Amino acid sequence: MPAFIEECRYEWKRLGVPNSMADEMAAELEADLAEAEVDGVSAAEILGESDPRRFAATWATERGLVAEPPPKKSRKGLWIGLGVGLVLVFVGLPAFALIGVGSGSVSTVNSLQPQRVRSVVIPNFIGMKACHASRIARESLLKVRRFPKSRCNAIVVAQRPTPHSLLQWPRGAHTIVKLQLRG
Amino acid sequence: MQRMASESRRSQMLRGVLDLCLLAVVIDEPAYGYEMTRRLRERGLSTVGEGSIYPLLGRLEREGLVATHRAASDGGPPRKYYRASASGKRALTEGVRAWNDVRDEVDSVLATSELEVP
Repeated sequence: MPAFIEECRYEWKRLGVPNSMADEMAAELEADLAEAEVDGVSAAEILGESDPRRFAATWATERGLVAEPPPKKSRKGLWIGLGVGLVLVFVGLPAFALIGVGSGSVSTVNSLQPQRVRSVVIPNFIGMKACHASRIARESLLKVRRFPKSRCNAIVVAQRPTPHSLLQWPRGAHTIVKLQLRG
Repeated sequence: MQRMASESRRSQMLRGVLDLCLLAVVIDEPAYGYEMTRRLRERGLSTVGEGSIYPLLGRLEREGLVATHRAASDGGPPRKYYRASASGKRALTEGVRAWNDVRDEVDSVLATSELEVP
């Protein structure tokens, strides 16, 4: 069943599931399927699903590793949004530009550019050694509050933000994870 | 066709209580995913219908109804073990009560109908 798991991995990567979480789920599935095979239980009975992408997406979503898709906007809302956008373009921009020229500043034009945001699901570091947690955090593009190297093997007993919470922040900014260590 | 409809109904009925069944099999002793499937089978639930237990376990974990830890298994790779947390035990107690109420109500409705199979 490695092909099924590979497909799952591909889907998790596409959905932005952190590598550490994808590894954990893949290992769990692989071990369970191997044991089921020894018992003569079919993979279909364990998986209950023949589509690996759908299976992987459902699992990750239920674990809270993927943000729920936003509700679809109605067509009416779309037209209103387009109308507001056009008004902003034809009326708002020249007005802002004039204000910018008058005050000798161009920063107002920059403020109209959409801010790009990053979304990351915070991994569960609890139970890990401090240095291992720090490495996984870096893989997820998070920063960990510094701790002395001598505490590399200390165990994480609490963390902020909490595990599996979904964080969004502007590109270029950073989120710092605070780890409470013991040992 | 009739068999498919029957399986689909069974699957739909199970969907509402499978989380309780999973909690029930890890309330006393932790288990990893496949071990839970095995315990369900030992208690008479041979198939869990459409879908799988993994997404459901994911939801239970996210909601804090199960706690997890990794531990070595007998001769095999380390496994992820699940056990019912304190809130999971409370949810199970409430869920079993709700299930019993619904089952009794449905039983009393269905018992009044006379079934004739041609």
